[in-house]
Amino acid sequence: MIERILLFAENRYARLVLVGLMFLGVQTTVFNDMRPFGVCLQIMVLLAVSAGLARGSDTGAIAGFIIGLLYDMVLTTPMGLCAAVFAMVGYLAGIGQSLVYAPTWWSRMLLGAGASAIGMILLPIAFTLTGATGILNAHVLWVALIVGLFNAVLSIPTERLCRWALTEPVAVR
Amino acid sequence: MADFSFTRRRAILLLSLTSVILITMDMRGSSVINFTRSAFGVVFRPIESATKVVTRPIGNAWNGITHYNDVVKENHRLNDLVAFNEGSTISAIASVREAQELLSLNGLPTLAGIASCTAQVVGQSPSNFTQTVEINRGSECGLKVGMPVLNAAGMIGKITDVYNKRSVVMLLTDPGYSLAVKVVNLPPPTTTTIPSGNEPTVTTTTSTTTTTLPKVTTTTGIPGFVPGNTVATSSTLAPLPGEVTLPPGDVGPNQPGKSTNSQITVPPGLDVPLRETGALEGRGISRNPIVRFIENQPRFGAVRIGAPIISAGGATSLAPPDIVIGSVSRVVNRTGTLGPILEVTLAANLKNLNFVRILLYQPTSERVKTP
Repeated sequence: MIERILLFAENRYARLVLVGLMFLGVQTTVFNDMRPFGVCLQIMVLLAVSAGLARGSDTGAIAGFIIGLLYDMVLTTPMGLCAAVFAMVGYLAGIGQSLVYAPTWWSRMLLGAGASAIGMILLPIAFTLTGATGILNAHVLWVALIVGLFNAVLSIPTERLCRWALTEPVAVR
Repeated sequence: MADFSFTRRRAILLLSLTSVILITMDMRGSSVINFTRSAFGVVFRPIESATKVVTRPIGNAWNGITHYNDVVKENHRLNDLVAFNEGSTISAIASVREAQELLSLNGLPTLAGIASCTAQVVGQSPSNFTQTVEINRGSECGLKVGMPVLNAAGMIGKITDVYNKRSVVMLLTDPGYSLAVKVVNLPPPTTTTIPSGNEPTVTTTTSTTTTTLPKVTTTTGIPGFVPGNTVATSSTLAPLPGEVTLPPGDVGPNQPGKSTNSQITVPPGLDVPLRETGALEGRGISRNPIVRFIENQPRFGAVRIGAPIISAGGATSLAPPDIVIGSVSRVVNRTGTLGPILEVTLAANLKNLNFVRILLYQPTSERVKTP
């Protein structure tokens, strides 16, 4: 039994789910109340972006999908919508990171901000594709700007967290 | 490299396919998706509650920094409002009761006859693109999808998802919200100035009349009745002893105008508020909802700012008639036969919701017919 729990804990995506649940708790409580400039900050997008920045495009896409699926569970948007968008965002962040020759802290922040902003634009587009109306307007750009700026600030520590959570298990025992 | 590309391509394809399948299943109302969401809610609720407790000081600090001035202003405004409303509440309650009695006497449905369930708002949507709140009552209370939700001020939305002990309410401002409404256009007031003597002064408004009669020291045969400063809402006041009576021709139709030298506001003839139906649509949290499909009828006239908006009701409407929604804040006129678009200021403050009431109302078209 203990062996199974250890195996589960060693799985990087299992760790990501646990981290994702923590982030989801913070997203639905404190960041739900704190709305600077009338915008709800999106740390779930930040987590997806950071996964891409930390472990590349493939892992970023899968991690983004898992994080998006967790977010879909508490939203009223169609299930799988955030998963698809966050997978794209994680993938884009990973691709962006691989294009930078020698990534620095500020290049990571820039990538984090850009990918988050793209996510905030893709989300209403995807929502519109599923039949929702009245969402695609100029406000989306404002949301993307604010979320991008905020996520840039938090991208470095979140990337470190993702780097830890998505570490491949090492056979030391 | 070929293997790597193949793996990557396969992973992306799988993720895309899974997303499409999930979206399709959810949009077709799959019970599996509903069950999964419900089960996740059960697991996630304790985590959320614990996080809420831990992060409350952060939230409070943030609110203290950003909203302190607003709260002080709001407090002053509410104190004024409470003082203003205390008097009018009593008469309003009496009027509502009378109206409900009249409706029930005539066999018409009233809100008082609809069972309701009280709930508390426990959270709002963390998304920037949907306006929903979560309440702590669900199917155990008899709630069903589509039921209207109100607070003390008026309509706030409708139920869109129901679980065992919680429900999701789509707010009026959500772009997906639509409801049939009535616009009650107030008849335009006419103002007449009648030159006359100095006393008494009479002011008449479209709905009530306040008459100040000259003070006289006269005794009457009616116990408890002291002639003098009398406030009346009737248009047929008997002349009091000592009262100056003018010839009927000078008074005109402005009963109980009697006699005045001040401005008198009188509704034209027997005009009653005119009603026209339209469709209320949400436009997101940053913009007021609008009412479309108002017919451009000469009889209805131009819609006035401040005209009340109430639910229209009807066999297929999800809300019963005459629930207060708000008032017209802006009128956008359009050319030709296109009716105006009305911007609506909601009566309820959607940013500060606490206790709400869900009317256990189902339209006649959706009721299960008993054999």
